[in-house]
Amino acid sequence: MNSIHEANPDSTPLVLIVDDSKFVHRLLATRLRSESIKIHSEYDGKGGFEFAKSQTPALIMLDLDMPIMDGFETLRALKDDPVTKDVPVIVLSGSSTTQDKVTAFDLGAVDFVTKPFELTELRARIRVSLQLHAALQMLSQKAMIDGLTGLYNRSMFDQRWQEEYERCVRHKHPMSLVMLDIDHFKSINDGYGHPAGDSVIAGISKMISTEIRKTDIACRYGGEEFSVILPDTTPEDAFAICERIRVECEQTVWPNHPGRSVTISIGIAGTSTQVTVGADKWLEQADRNLYSAKNSGRNQTRMTDSAGESQGLSQAG
Amino acid sequence: MHEYDPASFSLDPNNPEDAELIGFFVAELPDRMCTLRTAVDSEDFDSIRRLAHQLKGAAPGYGFPTIGDAAASLEHCLKENSVNALDQIQSELDTLISLCESYTKGS
Repeated sequence: MNSIHEANPDSTPLVLIVDDSKFVHRLLATRLRSESIKIHSEYDGKGGFEFAKSQTPALIMLDLDMPIMDGFETLRALKDDPVTKDVPVIVLSGSSTTQDKVTAFDLGAVDFVTKPFELTELRARIRVSLQLHAALQMLSQKAMIDGLTGLYNRSMFDQRWQEEYERCVRHKHPMSLVMLDIDHFKSINDGYGHPAGDSVIAGISKMISTEIRKTDIACRYGGEEFSVILPDTTPEDAFAICERIRVECEQTVWPNHPGRSVTISIGIAGTSTQVTVGADKWLEQADRNLYSAKNSGRNQTRMTDSAGESQGLSQAG
Repeated sequence: MHEYDPASFSLDPNNPEDAELIGFFVAELPDRMCTLRTAVDSEDFDSIRRLAHQLKGAAPGYGFPTIGDAAASLEHCLKENSVNALDQIQSELDTLISLCESYTKGS
């Protein structure tokens, strides 16, 4: 399976309440019982921030007046952290000065509720924040995913490749990069129509997804081209995976054109030791191997264990 | 002076959820009063202010808007006068404490 992370697989949204008063926690826990939410209570800013970082709740309700780390400090920390910055925060405050409200909104709060709160109003505000958050999450997921295949799209590949490359450099682990292209794809489109071409693209995506691990990252790189990042995988292991995909594809009978089989060409560049080339150079190597597979007659996999050759990072970059 | 409508904070003791909240609040009050007295004895004005602030925010939700008001006026007094108007602070404190006691003993 491809690793598209769901923020919260359980559909009941988790709401974090950060307040130093037991009265507030008990009141909210009781009055929000009928809402379909899960509540977690924290009693100071530090605990709240740490919980938010480890559990990424769908909503945070944050008190301002707290000892040690007050609400504004906590809000600032939440908005500065890449993990928590998109979690909506409703500020709950005993003070209702304009200055406090402006500061809260400037720091990134989505709403400001004054204590004592009207329960019906608070419930409505919680619902709106949760709906907005869910909609934004769906949009940002859509922006990462290719509609036809369900794989990551090109812009997501660029981002993930950079991240995985840096991780590989840091951890000195093996890693492989695969570039995969459908042979003579244009003739499928021309001969059997675009829907047939689309189902070939979707079908091959499925073969890739089935063959790789959850930690691998498969993307639709371009029209009929795919890329797969395989962390902690030597080029040899990547070769074995790719060959399975290639053979399966070659043997597949396509409903739209049973007499016309489809083949793929694959280029792999990776390192079984420590990486020494830059991210761009690595990508070029995989591309070069793909074209060498194409030039040698297609329907084959070409692999080099070259990303770790002693070329030095600076000249390779 | 209310910034909210006290009518929307009246709880019904015959409603189980309301009764649960009222019971919880009343059970917690002696502990809060104890903390408050300790803070007063050690002239820990920050703790007094924080407690008043908490009661101001929470008491109305438990059906005790009058405690909320007394706490609000104590908090206000502490903010405005810092520690100079001890008499006035003391009298606001007395109001709050006796109000709270009337609920814990009365019920």
